[in-house]
Amino acid sequence: MSVWMLVSPLLMLGLGGLLVMLVDAFVDEKAELPILTAILLAVAGGVAAAGIVNYDNVALAGAPEYLTRYLAFDRFALFFDVVVCGGAALSALLAGGYLREHDLERGEFYILIIYAALGAMVLGHAIDLLTIFIGLETMSLGAYAMVAFRRTSARAVEGAVKYFLLGSFAAAILLFGSALLYGATGHTDLAGIGEAIEGGNASIKLVLMAMFMMIVGLAFKVSAVPFHMWTPDAYEGAVTPATTFMSVAVKSAAFAVMVRVLLTVFGDDLSASAASGWPPVIAGLAAITMVYGNLAAIGQSSVKRMLAYSSVAHAGYAMVGVVAAFRVEEIAVSSVLFYLMAYTVGNVLTFGALIWFGSNGREAVSYEDLAGAGRRHPLVALPFVIGVLTLMGFPPTAGFFAKYYVFNAAVQAGGGMIWLAIIGVLSSAVGAYYYLRVIVFLFMKEPQPGAPIAIPMRSGYVAFVMIIAGYFVMKMGITPGPYLDLAMSAAEQFVS
Amino acid sequence: MSTSNFVLFLVSGGLAIVGAIGTVASRKPLRAAVALLLHIIALAALYLTLHAELLAALQLLVYAGAIVVLFVFVIMLIGPAAEVPSNPRGKITRLLSLVVGGSVMATVSFALVGHTAPRLPMLRNEAGENIFGTVEGMGVAIYQQALVPFELVSAALLVAIIGAIAIARSRTPQEQAVVVERQAERIELAAARDAELAQATAKVGS
Repeated sequence: MSVWMLVSPLLMLGLGGLLVMLVDAFVDEKAELPILTAILLAVAGGVAAAGIVNYDNVALAGAPEYLTRYLAFDRFALFFDVVVCGGAALSALLAGGYLREHDLERGEFYILIIYAALGAMVLGHAIDLLTIFIGLETMSLGAYAMVAFRRTSARAVEGAVKYFLLGSFAAAILLFGSALLYGATGHTDLAGIGEAIEGGNASIKLVLMAMFMMIVGLAFKVSAVPFHMWTPDAYEGAVTPATTFMSVAVKSAAFAVMVRVLLTVFGDDLSASAASGWPPVIAGLAAITMVYGNLAAIGQSSVKRMLAYSSVAHAGYAMVGVVAAFRVEEIAVSSVLFYLMAYTVGNVLTFGALIWFGSNGREAVSYEDLAGAGRRHPLVALPFVIGVLTLMGFPPTAGFFAKYYVFNAAVQAGGGMIWLAIIGVLSSAVGAYYYLRVIVFLFMKEPQPGAPIAIPMRSGYVAFVMIIAGYFVMKMGITPGPYLDLAMSAAEQFVS
Repeated sequence: MSTSNFVLFLVSGGLAIVGAIGTVASRKPLRAAVALLLHIIALAALYLTLHAELLAALQLLVYAGAIVVLFVFVIMLIGPAAEVPSNPRGKITRLLSLVVGGSVMATVSFALVGHTAPRLPMLRNEAGENIFGTVEGMGVAIYQQALVPFELVSAALLVAIIGAIAIARSRTPQEQAVVVERQAERIELAAARDAELAQATAKVGS
């Protein structure tokens, strides 16, 4: 097999996006763009998955130099192709139900999803500061536009402006850090920078400044505290499928870059140790992110906003795995990968269930909207229950093993990391309060007299997504082995 | 670096900083646009000190010639008198941000003092001539070395265009018709459901 098979997911999205645009222009307004988009993304993800399985048969040696210079085609990158494409395909299908029901259906949304997913995939492949920045911008520009998609809503515009301004600053800071790295080492490729730093050929002061700035820029993208300010507003203001996309694909891609940059560029003994360099910084960020994310989520009256804070908290859990990577690389990186995969399906399930409970221009947003809805529509409430349970980390769902592997990695790393695992377990116990509150409202409360009652929409798209996401949540919770092996193989190759 | 080059660097670098501060600090949008123009021209001069002549020319053509003009058009469309309201934040917040920003700047400057950038090999063509900064060099850099990032940039620009359209465009009459049709369908559906419910309730009641 030639290397082009591994390139083809990227090419498919690039060319397929153009195709969807053409289709949108020439067919009538009732066209089934969500299906077309989802099939495109699913095929691209499937090809990437096939690439992982048959990876040993790929003739990587014959890959043209202009390709491998900027993009890596390792299992790590392909793993993120699968996760991003999967999350984006499910978000596109959710959009097919949501946008139609709320009279927002316009073809641009699907094209934005395709190209933002392309940017996210490029981030997974990027091994050069240049491609990292371009991928980041492609992905972020798509996400900004998706947040502002419902432009008549003041909330959406507020969220989009905050996200756009802060995101631009974060990108600028990342770029500043990249420039300092280039100035210190004369390289833009991550491996070259890493070698120069390890060989002691770079000014330590500059490298430290650059590390600081790269971490700030990336922490913004994964919405770690204290760079999370935009998250609740952008997540709440955006149309829910866009929120889903941001919380799964954008976040996963940002973690891909974070892991790759920290381990390849700053992998030397001085930059990656328990006492100096990035591990203490990321550990501190992870700790406050977990604690703050969970505490802030308790006070919310809107479920969507609660889920936004919950996604902040989840970034904290995943960062625990990232820190542990400085000592137990393989176990830690694979735990982060598994976490992101489990989080993707769990979040799609929860946001999808929230979408399902809205109909006819009226969304279910607050806890009150959901009061008693579970007893009236038990079948619709089922995915919601499974979704919050997996986000909570309740066995036997995917979320349980995801948390278990991440905290296990921290314990394996030992030292101060054990404290991080303890903070993680305690704060996820706090999280149980607001996740269970959803179930309490669904089944044990009655709506206030006279309050509008949530009526679920009738959409085959949303129902289909619920089945797929629910299946994977349960499957990864009952037999996590194959998925962990997949994450392991991706991490293995990346580490060596 | 020769003395004349150094003087050019100091002057254009200083002007670039002045322009950048003017862009973000001035309250009148038109003044900000003109300060941006100053910044862009000074940046082009900085490129000249680095022997990137083609890049300097392109910078002037694209940014000064096209983008700033577009900005000015938009400002004129909105009305040049439009003013940004004064900063609503308190004095303490502003002071704090000044301190934080200043300390970051001081740290970066401290890290940069005495640092000499590593010497990199020049870009050469097959005949061995130095082609850095020329049209040929730019062509080699973009279309041979950085072909992949170049293609990816086109995706980034495309997504920006589509995003702008998605935010700015309103519905076409055909799309509006579909929306109205779907609304009618849903109202029918809801009415049918209500009738069903009423029937069921009546049955239970009797």
